[in-house]
Amino acid sequence: MKEAIIYNLEGLLEGLAGEDGIKKEWEDFLVNLADASENADMKEKIKEPLKSLMNVVNSSALLKGFEFLNEKIEGFPLAEILKVVVEVLDESKKEKETRIRELGDILAELATPIIRIWQDILLVPLIGTLDSHRAQNMAEKLLEKTASTRAKMVIVDVTGVPMIDTIVGGFLIEMFNAIKLLGSDVILTGIKPEIAHTLVKLGVDFNMVIIKRDLESALKYAIGIAPDKSDRKHSRKRGDGDEE
Amino acid sequence: MKSKVVPTIKLYDYLLVPIQIELDDNTVERLQMQILHEIHENDVRGIIIDVSMVDVIDSYISFVLSETAGMAKAMGCHTVLCGIQPQVALTLAQMGIRLKDIITARSLEDAIDILDELE
Amino acid sequence: MIEVNPQDYDIVLKIKDESDIAVSRQMAKNFAQKMNFSLADVTKIATAVSELARNIYRYAKEGYIYIRKKEAGPEKATTIEILACDKGPGIENVELAVSGGYTTSERSLGLGLAGIRRLMDSFHIESEVGKGTAVIVEKRRRAF
Repeated sequence: MKEAIIYNLEGLLEGLAGEDGIKKEWEDFLVNLADASENADMKEKIKEPLKSLMNVVNSSALLKGFEFLNEKIEGFPLAEILKVVVEVLDESKKEKETRIRELGDILAELATPIIRIWQDILLVPLIGTLDSHRAQNMAEKLLEKTASTRAKMVIVDVTGVPMIDTIVGGFLIEMFNAIKLLGSDVILTGIKPEIAHTLVKLGVDFNMVIIKRDLESALKYAIGIAPDKSDRKHSRKRGDGDEE
Repeated sequence: MKSKVVPTIKLYDYLLVPIQIELDDNTVERLQMQILHEIHENDVRGIIIDVSMVDVIDSYISFVLSETAGMAKAMGCHTVLCGIQPQVALTLAQMGIRLKDIITARSLEDAIDILDELE
Repeated sequence: MIEVNPQDYDIVLKIKDESDIAVSRQMAKNFAQKMNFSLADVTKIATAVSELARNIYRYAKEGYIYIRKKEAGPEKATTIEILACDKGPGIENVELAVSGGYTTSERSLGLGLAGIRRLMDSFHIESEVGKGTAVIVEKRRRAF
């Protein structure tokens, strides 16, 4: 088979290149195949060239090429090669899945920033669709941050959330209740009809959260309240000291 | 009175109860009695329970805490809980537990401010 | 009822005294921590075990809690499985116990079963009056 490939390489490539004119990758593949055809590790040897070939030709061209080679070359190891094709496809699928997961993680991080916008005030602008996984991670992060900064107010802006399902709505309500247990207040803003619908159906307690029409009024309200009493007391004392 | 479950601190008119031990059922029940006795003996008008060292608060512990707050209320005394760990707060919220008759505060300072404001 | 082989589990806890509730809670916490659960999930697992242990102590006087690590589902997610079983009086109305006990307004009722179910990813209960109760719960470890 080695000879059959090497001596007819030009002719075979003419036939394979066809309309799309892809020649180099086919050549690489054939040369490696010829080279490795008698070895036991043939599959390993042709994997890389096959990968490059599959990157440039589509599946129908690939199959057509294999059929052509099968006709022209006696003893063409079609079955073996197809096994390698399956392996390559499997690997690339796994790579893609990992990549998607990584991107998902990055997105989750990016999509739930927690911003300390004022002394004692955290702002959490929620963006995009929430699933229960993301909602739980966010809840843990936000609770941690609320406790460590001892924020008095947490503004959760859901303007960027198109809709929520009942499970995620349940997680949000739990998150609000948990924030209240830390002694902080929750201001919820930017609620669309769909979200209002879900939250009320789930029985959100509007005594637990403060609702504001938009971010502007939420900020006004929070900043108006924010300077807490102990700070005022201390600043007053300091102020008195300065005057004396 | 029997030995105290936790040492408490009298601060202004308030009773500060820092819980720094593992709360098993028996301990939390004895703590309830201790707090009620101390309210009675010391003329306290507010209790501050600091749970910042408590890793797990389950339904029974939270129930006894709420119950204690209710009893304290009957004796004219407010109860503020401060220092709940964030993961404990999430757990309580997910279980659907409400701390009846208890006010929660962000910190000890916040707890004192809240009690000051209540009078 | 469920057949249990203690050798299949990483931790076996006998619940007999009131203090065993706190012990089981601590053991579950340490084990979940070693499994790299998030701090919030460690707390949820420890709390669920605390509730399960209390149910055993209160209603059956004694029983066992078994804990193990396993891989579950098509994704082979790292999972903690907790099995609590006793030969106590059993629960007459399982439906009600699981759905109802959402309040903590009474000392004895409520059972905390609804709370446990909400804390965990999966929840399974078998109970027969006069024979005993077995509860199996699982929690999967989330990524990052």
